[in-house]
Amino acid sequence: MVGLSLGEKHFIQGGIAQDIRSDGRKRLTYRPINVETGVIPQANGSARIRMGATDVISTVKAELGKPISLQPDKGKVSIYVDCSPTAAPMFEGRGGEELSTELSVALQRSLLGGKSGAGAGIDLSSLVVVEGKICWDLYIDCLVVCSDGNLLDALGAAIKAALSNTGIPRVQVAAGASGDEQPEVDISDEEFLQFDTSDIPVIVTLTKVGRHYIVDATTEEESQMSSAISISVNRKGHICGLNKRGGAGLDPSIVLDMISVAKHVSEQLMNKLDSEIAAAEAGEDES
Amino acid sequence: MAGKPGTTPTTYSPSPTTQKTRRPIFNENDVDWVRPDGRGFHQCRPAFFRTGAVNAASGSAYAEFGNTKVIVSVFGPRESKKAMMYSDIGRLNCSVSYTTFATPVRGQGSEHKDFSSMLHKSLEGAIILETFPKTTVDVFALVLESGGSDLPVVISCASLALADAGILMHDLVASVSLSCLGKNLVIDPILEEESYQDGALLITCMPSRYEVTQLTVTGEWSTPKINEGMQLCLDACSKLAKIMRSCLKEATSTSQE
Amino acid sequence: MGLPDAPGDLSSEVDVDAFRRLFPLRFYERHLTESIRPDGRPLGRARDTTIALGAVASAEGSALAKIGSTTMLAAIKMEVMTPSMDSPDEGCIAIDFHMPPICSPIVRPGRPAEIAPVVSKQLSDTYFKALTSYMCCCSSGMINLKELSLVSGKAAWMAYLDIYCLDADGALFDAALLSAVAAFSHLQIPAVSLNDDGKIVVVSEENGGKLEKDAVNKERMKLTLKSIPFSLTCVLHKNYILADPTAEEESIMETVVTVVLDSSSQLVSLYKPGGPVLAYTSAIQDCVALTRQRMKELQKILDEANSGMEVD
Repeated sequence: MVGLSLGEKHFIQGGIAQDIRSDGRKRLTYRPINVETGVIPQANGSARIRMGATDVISTVKAELGKPISLQPDKGKVSIYVDCSPTAAPMFEGRGGEELSTELSVALQRSLLGGKSGAGAGIDLSSLVVVEGKICWDLYIDCLVVCSDGNLLDALGAAIKAALSNTGIPRVQVAAGASGDEQPEVDISDEEFLQFDTSDIPVIVTLTKVGRHYIVDATTEEESQMSSAISISVNRKGHICGLNKRGGAGLDPSIVLDMISVAKHVSEQLMNKLDSEIAAAEAGEDES
Repeated sequence: MAGKPGTTPTTYSPSPTTQKTRRPIFNENDVDWVRPDGRGFHQCRPAFFRTGAVNAASGSAYAEFGNTKVIVSVFGPRESKKAMMYSDIGRLNCSVSYTTFATPVRGQGSEHKDFSSMLHKSLEGAIILETFPKTTVDVFALVLESGGSDLPVVISCASLALADAGILMHDLVASVSLSCLGKNLVIDPILEEESYQDGALLITCMPSRYEVTQLTVTGEWSTPKINEGMQLCLDACSKLAKIMRSCLKEATSTSQE
Repeated sequence: MGLPDAPGDLSSEVDVDAFRRLFPLRFYERHLTESIRPDGRPLGRARDTTIALGAVASAEGSALAKIGSTTMLAAIKMEVMTPSMDSPDEGCIAIDFHMPPICSPIVRPGRPAEIAPVVSKQLSDTYFKALTSYMCCCSSGMINLKELSLVSGKAAWMAYLDIYCLDADGALFDAALLSAVAAFSHLQIPAVSLNDDGKIVVVSEENGGKLEKDAVNKERMKLTLKSIPFSLTCVLHKNYILADPTAEEESIMETVVTVVLDSSSQLVSLYKPGGPVLAYTSAIQDCVALTRQRMKELQKILDEANSGMEVD
């Protein structure tokens, strides 16, 4: 873990208490976000997000599959995170595995909504090609290249950017297939459908250090936390998912206060991210 | 394999003829909708706890909420695995698994990684780890039958098993989940309700200290609804803790006799 | 044991519990000369045994068997399979024995790298092998696999029997077998019919009135169990035979003999996995005699459990 001397710990905690952090930020200020899209040519969509030293890549692969019988009118999305052992020494072996599962589950919870699909950032019914027969399966794979705290927010933003970069080929269904037969499909190489990514929530993690909460904590700051809450908020200001980290107990009223702070922060983050993604996409088109 | 060894034919479990499509157990306008087991929306299933279910363990507990049946054993504090580095506080190791027959469709009976880490996160804040440095406490849970709200039952049962093992804790940990179906919030959902839910909220808390140790939310929620949901769960948790406490008291009074 | 004779003098001085821990064998031998065991049982008596049927609602048949504190939960789930070419009108039984980490301190989850998991693996493997190989042979005796057939050559039942050890305190095989037998006696095969796609579907209660034309078996049915096997494990030590040992007794005195008899007192299986004591024929005969008594007890317990279910 992070080796900090007692003096450094006091410095970090004291800075947070006085609303000026070690790198000069205020408690609720993010590090500059750098968005690059289309970084992996083989994928249907990809994006790389850098926030300070935290560096993550997200890719989207679309494959045709069969919807599950319980929900014939919905496609399937799976999210998987891999923590590269090169990103941090603690990712080697089982530590990385555990963190990977934890992040994958947290992202699924935050972005995919309830079991019935309500509140999902991605409209699952738009992925259906033929009801009950064919749908798109989205495989979202994320790679943590370098970790300096706040992985969940960065991954959430990377997925949002990768999805807005994603084009799904238009599919022509051959007419005439009826009954139980699997209809034949023709996948177009030229026409692509874009996703509506405006509903995809952003994830805001509030890390509680002492009596205050900060956003976008670095690894050093995370080592001083008592607990952290990750809240995903969509454009409507509704909460789409919530995860808690850290074992320390929290008073319910503090949880509610954190939710309202997160909602406030999410608006700014959402706008910032949208403009960054738009700029990145424009840059990619030009080049 | 009886009969022909070496051949594993593919099998499927026969599905019922009815309910081919998703059954609309709830629709938006239907105010008089009743839950499949006839409970009120804000009514929990009757909870049954018993400590000392497994003699071989340092502490154990069995919990039964309707059809959800779990058994939790606690071992230790005992020697940590050799590969572990020195630690001046104790370690907590949690594992949750299902029996192959717990779910309606036969499963593999392997460890449920997600639940294991959730159980760990829910309990670590309540246990005073400083009291057993260098050693490990193992908390193993087995879901005998899954009837909905499995994780909250496992968590509550595990804290009771820890108490039975004499592990020092700040407080008992009680856990309750609720499902959001349409506009309604139903507490302590059964399997059927969980499979159609629009959103879910799970709280684990230490009721006497009034602290939340773990909280997860899925689905879309407005702030007032989250407030309402949290309050419902917290109230249910404190009621549940009373039942858990009386179970512990009963166990000690019978052992003294 | 290579211990000096000193502990003999110590026994009057140290606390009973300490003596039990330090010189377990000596502790037991003192009891055995008095023909009594530390838990108050005479040598030939088994612990209290109970059976609870229908412990798991999600399985078609289930039973919880308790012998002393050894607890086994067996459940049977029925699935449909296509029978093999060799036996088109026979079903199949698949048996699995699990020792989850909850049941004993020596079982730990994860990779079997350390000594403890290896021991537990051996333990569960031994029981599993003994149980499956045995059940394979006897299933033809106890269960008529033809009863599991649905449509000859097309569909038959596959009965998945899973036995979980919930609490391990000796005589695991006896408890596992008892729970398995009880689960089969509780098993209710659901009413099914063949649908248009050639798949087997469950006939639900509500539309039970209008049975589809392809009804395969119209009512829920029970299997006929012909000869039911019962077992008793004994520990042999010097000239003593201890029936139904606890985990402590099994670990101190290593020679174990398991005898399985069916309900007409015929010997089904005999199992003696090594151990330092070579069993004399007379000892084996004594074990068989003990098993015969035990078989009657168990038969009675099983019958009571079954009749209790019918009253409900």
